[in-house]
Amino acid sequence: MNLSKYFKGAFLVMLASLVLSACATKKVGNQIQGDVYTGTDTVEYLASGVPDRVFFATNESVLTTASRDTLRKQAEWLRKNSKINIVLEGHADERGTREYNLALGERRANAAKDYLMTYGISGSRISVISYGKERPVDSGSNPLAWSKNRRSVTVKAN
Amino acid sequence: MIKNIIISSGIHFIIIFLAALSLPFLAKKPIDLPPIVSVELIQISDKTNIPFAPKAKKIIEEVKKKEKEKVTSEQAPPKKVKKEKPDSVPLPDENIDKVKKIEEKKQNPEKLDEEVKQVSEFEKKELFDPNNIAALIDKSKEEVAETNKKTNKLTQSQDKDANVYGLTLSEEDALKAQIFGCWSIPLGLPYNENLLVRIKLQLKPDGSVVKTEIIDHARMNKPGQGFYKVLAESALRAIKLCQPLRVPTKGYERWKDLQLNFDAREMLEG
Amino acid sequence: MIRFFNLLLVIFFSFFVKANALIEVDITRGNLNPLPIAVSPLSLDSKSNQELQKIFKKKNIGAEISSVVENNLKTSGLFNPLNKDAFLQKPDIAHLKPRFEDWALIKAQALITGKVKFQDEKLRVEFRLWDVLAGKEMMALAFTTVPTNWRRIGHIITDKVYERLTGEKGYFDTRIIYVAENGPKTKRIKKLAIMDQDGFNTKYLTLGNELVLTPRFNPTNQMVTYLSYFRNLPRVYLLDIETGVQEVVGDFPGMTFAPRFSPDGKKIIMSFAIDGNSDIYTMDLENRIVERITNHPSIDTSPSFSPDGKYICFNSDRSGYQQIYVMKNDGSNVKRISFGKGLYGTPVWSPRGDLIAFTKLHKGKFYIGVMRKDGSGERLLTENYYQEAPSWSPNGRVLIFYRETKSDSEGKGFSAKLWSIDLTGYNERLVITESDASDPSWSSLLSN
Repeated sequence: MNLSKYFKGAFLVMLASLVLSACATKKVGNQIQGDVYTGTDTVEYLASGVPDRVFFATNESVLTTASRDTLRKQAEWLRKNSKINIVLEGHADERGTREYNLALGERRANAAKDYLMTYGISGSRISVISYGKERPVDSGSNPLAWSKNRRSVTVKAN
Repeated sequence: MIKNIIISSGIHFIIIFLAALSLPFLAKKPIDLPPIVSVELIQISDKTNIPFAPKAKKIIEEVKKKEKEKVTSEQAPPKKVKKEKPDSVPLPDENIDKVKKIEEKKQNPEKLDEEVKQVSEFEKKELFDPNNIAALIDKSKEEVAETNKKTNKLTQSQDKDANVYGLTLSEEDALKAQIFGCWSIPLGLPYNENLLVRIKLQLKPDGSVVKTEIIDHARMNKPGQGFYKVLAESALRAIKLCQPLRVPTKGYERWKDLQLNFDAREMLEG
Repeated sequence: MIRFFNLLLVIFFSFFVKANALIEVDITRGNLNPLPIAVSPLSLDSKSNQELQKIFKKKNIGAEISSVVENNLKTSGLFNPLNKDAFLQKPDIAHLKPRFEDWALIKAQALITGKVKFQDEKLRVEFRLWDVLAGKEMMALAFTTVPTNWRRIGHIITDKVYERLTGEKGYFDTRIIYVAENGPKTKRIKKLAIMDQDGFNTKYLTLGNELVLTPRFNPTNQMVTYLSYFRNLPRVYLLDIETGVQEVVGDFPGMTFAPRFSPDGKKIIMSFAIDGNSDIYTMDLENRIVERITNHPSIDTSPSFSPDGKYICFNSDRSGYQQIYVMKNDGSNVKRISFGKGLYGTPVWSPRGDLIAFTKLHKGKFYIGVMRKDGSGERLLTENYYQEAPSWSPNGRVLIFYRETKSDSEGKGFSAKLWSIDLTGYNERLVITESDASDPSWSSLLSN
């Protein structure tokens, strides 16, 4: 047997495990992708096929592709139900200071609001409130629970 | 064979990876812990007890006796130090409407109540008079002041020979170690101030203290230096607590006058 | 005569001693053990006791007051109150003339004695502090007050003793305002609560109908500013503790939060969030003029004035992550001061002005720490799973903050408690509260 083959093998193993370990931090089960919750455990529906919430990465207020998809569905639903006004509730996980989290929640809710407005929903139909870390949906102290709590929830106001 | 190597290298890699992850974290101290205070045990390698010059001993003992008398006699006639402080402070809470100051420190208990001074409702005097306290700290201040001039002269004129007559390292360490143990550093001292207090001692051959004198005595009365008084008092307590001091068994002449420089800074900054 | 003798002694020695070079020994170390102190129960004559028992149902108010003092001293971490069982002298006699040898025997270095009297429907409390080793009185004071104020007497005595023995002002005659919490984590009920520094005399200021957060005292301790979700509009409010009157601060078209008073009590500084951006504003409470202090697309929040009012520290994520910044009170000269690893939040300027306390998040752990106002000398005092929002004791010696514990998905294991820690990182203590608690804010000294 060739010695260099072993080294090659060992090197490949190292590389593979490096790649795997890098992935491991980003995947908890199948419910989190890139730090953003992708499951449906806590999700409620405004109407059939219209999820009420979008999720965010830690300390982020950037909308993911899935979030934009959800918001487009909400926009469509809002266009069909033009008498409905909504409140966007922004939330953060418990791993931040209270005051910063209030600001972060406000920023997240506004990210959702801006997106809805670009899809033709009038800003006058949308109000925004931040709860910071005050109203978690999952009480757990683990990454999965935190990912569920980093959210902006669309609630019917009337 | 290849399988084994793969498994082995895989496991090795995991270990390296884990180590790389955890070691730097372990190495980093998350919390700044002040240094641990250790007690030093020192053997003093000195010889027999050389009898002290009888004359001097006798005199010192007599002085000590006299001083004791003096202390009590000093306390008999109460010294009144009344200082009206102009900066009266209003009390925000009306419920605690009267703060009275007991002016007098007297040994005579019956007269105590008569001596209590009352202060009007929204006026409060300084709780204690720093001048008064400073004077109290060192009972022997007055006497020292007089004798001191002389001693100063002595030390000045003989400074040239100073280096010959010091304490040996082990003698100094023994004394230090003892006082380290007695000195409770007041933890409330501001850590960013000059925290040095120098105290001159006059000792008896057995290491007991005849007299203490705070060298920078004036600083106690300076505004904003309240902590200095606290520091000085703590140093004096340490000396009292440590008595008799662990002095060398011989060479009384070298150390019968001794200066201790208490510096809390190192400990508090630690 | 004695002086003459001393003189003689010196003259004698000047002949006797050939080389009188003064030996100097540097004492650079000591122990940081708490000072052993004996708190003798305050003596109480039987007539006063009979009358006071009608008011209090306390067996002996003198002993009660001294136990307030004792507990305060112990909590400070700087004193070690000695066991009363070992005291040899009776309280009344000790107060007149302590036998210092007896107190030195039980290793006391300081002694507190006192006397309580009930006269003219008032409580008269007198106390003395003695230096046991020097055999001297260090301080003597007397107070008169309504009997129901007896705990405050204990706190004031502690403040005086503390100041006399440590060289800095005490912090015992103070209160703490905080948020009392109960209920499940997902629907927490929060009320404003106020209590004495030692956890007694808790009073609730709101009913818990709406979410309230981050209460802070004004410099005179009569007003509180806080965040309330009244009618689901999160706004900064002002509450007069005596009258219970509440009002919204300003008329902002969005969330206002993170309020604090300026050191002169005339302004409130806070964050105002609109369209996803939080900036710092002040409002003058007299003329209602609102000023915008920061103008940056990042989150700027948790502002806190320096004690002289000239500077403001705050946290901002303008660098990408939460860091601490300092600026002039008009918003100019913004400088980042935190450069360590991790995120930094909730900066609070110390009452002494030299330090800034903060919360730090690094590698999944929360720390309470302090740094100098220029960002140097960072020291982390305590590490935990979750803790934040330090508030300074009025003397700048102790920090109080809150700490939360981990919980499972049902919220089991969750708790929120107040903790205090000394600036040195020693003496971490749980502050007892009636319920769970968070967002503590320390008052200034009530007396003085």
